[in-house]
Amino acid sequence: MKRFWQSVVLTLLALAVARPALAQEEIRIGVIYPLTGAAASTGLELKNALDLAADLINNGTKGLNLPMTTSGGLPNLKGARIKLIVGDHQGNPQTGATEAERLITQEKVVAIVCCYFSNVTNTASQVAERYGVPFVNPESSSATLTARGFKWFFRTTPHDELFVANFFDFLKDVEKKKGVSVKRIALFNENTLFGTETTKIEEKLAGEQKYPIVEKILYPAKSTQLTSEVQRLKAANPDLIMQSSYLGDAILSMKTYKELGVSPDAILANDAGFNDSEFLKTLGRDAEYVLSREVWALDLAAKNPLIKQVNDLYFERYKTNFNGNSARTFTGLMVLADAINRAGSTKPEAIQKALVETDIPGSKLIMPWKGIKFDATGQNTLGSGIIVQVQDGKYATVWPFDLASKDVIWPMPKWDQRK
Amino acid sequence: MPAAKRVALLAVLALAVALPWLVANPSQLNFAILVLMIAQAGVAWNILGGYAGQVSLGHAAFYGIGAYTSTKLLLAWGLSPWLGMLAGGLVAVAFALAIGWPCFRLKGHYFAMATIAIAEILQIVVTNTDAMGGAVGLQLPFANEGWAGFVFNRSKLPYYYIILALLLVTLSASRLIERSFLGYYFRAIKDEPDAARSVGIDLTRYKLAAIAASSFLTALGGSFYAQKELYIDPGSTLATSLSIKIALVAILGGVGTLSGPVVGAVILTAIEETTRTVFGGTGRGTDLIVYGLLIIVVAVFYPAGVVGGLRDLGRRWRGPGAAREPLPAEGER
Amino acid sequence: MSPSLEILIQTLASGVLIGLIYALVAVGLTMIFGVMDIVNFSHGEFLMLGMYSSFWGFALWRLDPMFTLPFTALLLFALGAAIYHVVIRRIIRAPMLSQIFTTFGLMILFRGLAQFLWKPDFRSIDHSIVEGKVALGWLQFGTPQLVAGAGAIVVTGAVWWFLQRTRVGAALEATAADREAAALMGIDVQRMFALAWGIGAACAGVAGALLSTFFPIFPEVGANFILVAFVTVALGGFGSVAGAFWAGIIVGIVEVLGGFLLGPQYKLALVLALYLLVVLLRPRGLLGRA
Repeated sequence: MKRFWQSVVLTLLALAVARPALAQEEIRIGVIYPLTGAAASTGLELKNALDLAADLINNGTKGLNLPMTTSGGLPNLKGARIKLIVGDHQGNPQTGATEAERLITQEKVVAIVCCYFSNVTNTASQVAERYGVPFVNPESSSATLTARGFKWFFRTTPHDELFVANFFDFLKDVEKKKGVSVKRIALFNENTLFGTETTKIEEKLAGEQKYPIVEKILYPAKSTQLTSEVQRLKAANPDLIMQSSYLGDAILSMKTYKELGVSPDAILANDAGFNDSEFLKTLGRDAEYVLSREVWALDLAAKNPLIKQVNDLYFERYKTNFNGNSARTFTGLMVLADAINRAGSTKPEAIQKALVETDIPGSKLIMPWKGIKFDATGQNTLGSGIIVQVQDGKYATVWPFDLASKDVIWPMPKWDQRK
Repeated sequence: MPAAKRVALLAVLALAVALPWLVANPSQLNFAILVLMIAQAGVAWNILGGYAGQVSLGHAAFYGIGAYTSTKLLLAWGLSPWLGMLAGGLVAVAFALAIGWPCFRLKGHYFAMATIAIAEILQIVVTNTDAMGGAVGLQLPFANEGWAGFVFNRSKLPYYYIILALLLVTLSASRLIERSFLGYYFRAIKDEPDAARSVGIDLTRYKLAAIAASSFLTALGGSFYAQKELYIDPGSTLATSLSIKIALVAILGGVGTLSGPVVGAVILTAIEETTRTVFGGTGRGTDLIVYGLLIIVVAVFYPAGVVGGLRDLGRRWRGPGAAREPLPAEGER
Repeated sequence: MSPSLEILIQTLASGVLIGLIYALVAVGLTMIFGVMDIVNFSHGEFLMLGMYSSFWGFALWRLDPMFTLPFTALLLFALGAAIYHVVIRRIIRAPMLSQIFTTFGLMILFRGLAQFLWKPDFRSIDHSIVEGKVALGWLQFGTPQLVAGAGAIVVTGAVWWFLQRTRVGAALEATAADREAAALMGIDVQRMFALAWGIGAACAGVAGALLSTFFPIFPEVGANFILVAFVTVALGGFGSVAGAFWAGIIVGIVEVLGGFLLGPQYKLALVLALYLLVVLLRPRGLLGRA
């Protein structure tokens, strides 16, 4: 009898010791986004994208040429599954830092994906840098973020300097193709970090490329009306309006343009509010012909079927298409997972090294980029923007011309000449 | 003060000093620092809003002035943040006196609205001034690690002790003022302004004294924020929501009491952090609901704040005719 | 007429229209303050709820906001009175600070509830009987804005008429002037308070309904209006409905004109500076009680 119990105890002990080796490792990744507050709807969209990415990695899916979605979990880590630990920064830089601190020290995440807003990314990534934790930033466009000499900061999205350069490359191409010329540019930007930085770069590049800026307006994003601003715009009589707005003011400004009869040859927007599906829904036909810098569009699937495949999965779950933000966030997590997989370990230095060595070709991304490769400052150098135009109620890629699905319409018909 | 109270205070102090060794991880230490930061601002606010009864809902202006002054002096002329902190305090006092002098003739809600207006104007001006970083904000350098540079990257411990010291300084100043003749006049201004005026007290002069002290101390807190977060922008240091929070901790804890703002800071930060970490991740707004309900419950059922409520409880527990301790000194109500 | 004068007058007219909306929001806010000395920080949320009420009527049953406007007004009236009975009643005698923070807590609560129930996405009403443009001579207006302005005048006028010409209104004014005396005269002060909250909330709700035809709808939309509403109330004089009306128009004009002439980034600063100027030179506002 004694022997029997001895063997039972020994077996149990053996199992208890053996269990950790049999158990699958869980890879805890911290993700911090604005889940309450004014940007909550964007934050939730991005969280959905992350949930989809994690699910595809953890459970695999058939027929997708996306890295790590062929088997369950990360192959080099014995099928370890990704667990997203979610934080809410509420759009506040200090809260972002606090959440990063909490996720790193209490929740023991091995890496962080964050934050959408550039000013929150600023403080949150500082915390990661202090602790030596890899930080992947998929959406913040402020150029200063990669100018800090950080070693743990990796940004997959291109930044504002490149995006604004896209604008002027586009203008040059359009002028050549359509035989038009842009002689009077007006800048119409909201006055938080996003609009302010864009304005600086726009002024710099317009000056270098000899485009005259006839009016520069910085307005408060939380306005109750934009009449005085649009009046000033109208008075300046621009042939091109370059605009950076969030959703609320994008809608308001378009309505005011129509109301006051402001009809430039083109409205060229800098992403953000203009690329939101709600923008199209609210304005209906009035959104037609608006140009916007995007990073992603559904019609790019013609050149890269992966885009449609993943979008279909997203649409199935969330009843809405990807947009530039959610697509980038999705990509950010994929890049991180790829790095962790190549590292074969969850040690921070190993992940950091793997991120530095990242070299993902464009064909394996759902972005219209040449790929993902980080330079010494942690910036992905192979990304770029595209220009879309609202045609027939949908965003159609019109530039670069080799990726375009539709021809750009320039100039756009005046308000009273539209059907 | 009674012996029991003295012992209790020493125990709290000892606990505060020993805290970093008692917490499990840096995130909890960070939480403690956040509590101390808002407590310090609340105690400073209390001098004007609690003791002198001039409710300011624009104190972020002073906080931001502190943060921006020390940061700008550091970035432009390499001035040590410690000196910059003092400079920030002085600038805040100058600003406070300049706005106090015309605004103190306003009463009650009008004055509160004026403070909101002034802080908002300051925020708008800074947002649109490139030299102050504008909307982009100002980035402080990591490099000057150490006590001289007032930057600590590897451990939060020094930050903790600095803010603790700052809080103790603010509490001491507050207590000193409150027990001095200034405190006596403040109470008169708060409770019986007409009577005070009729015996010849120059109300404006003492209100100015209150706002000077309050603004100086608040600005010190702002400089600390800049040195801790290493990044400031108008939204984080000049926003009305910050002003509300500073006043809120004093109210929750009990205005016009010394420990009130500290207690309020602990409660408020605990509520905020808990509701955000437990509910925030879902994105449903549940944490806002809980936060709002809690604020309502405390404001409705404990108008004297937690400290006031506890004191009432203590009095009732001791029963009538309990003369075991001398009557509370003038300031303790 | 020279183009710049034309633009100036057009801008002025737009300022008046938005100012009328501010006036309507401020009327509700000032009524609550006038009757019981409480500043309602959650007033912007009544506006937000009015917008959502209009939105859901449209989204679920294709009912035009103009059609559902009376219903929205009643709904918000009931809500305001209910808030009074459940929460505000308990803090009537509390210190000013407690009152401020109770309503502040309500503000956060409502925003959280709105996000919880209806998600933070932006909504809008894309078709309405008041859509389109109207040209009055060479002036151009969006029809929704014009209707909103007219609606604000009508409702403000109705409230003013109610206060000045009806018995209940007189009772309300009496309570505002001296609640102890009013109680001695047999006025049910509690009912007056609830009434003030009801009317106040209804005004904000109607403003929301009028705005819903052209302004985006989201849980935090109240934040855009509340500060300007406070300034309007203070400028007009806490407690004066007529004051709030004229102050609203002035604020609208200053905001739009100032933004046009000086730069839109300083719009709000100008409005706030105006408040400071008036309140320092004339502390009780334009038409407030001394």
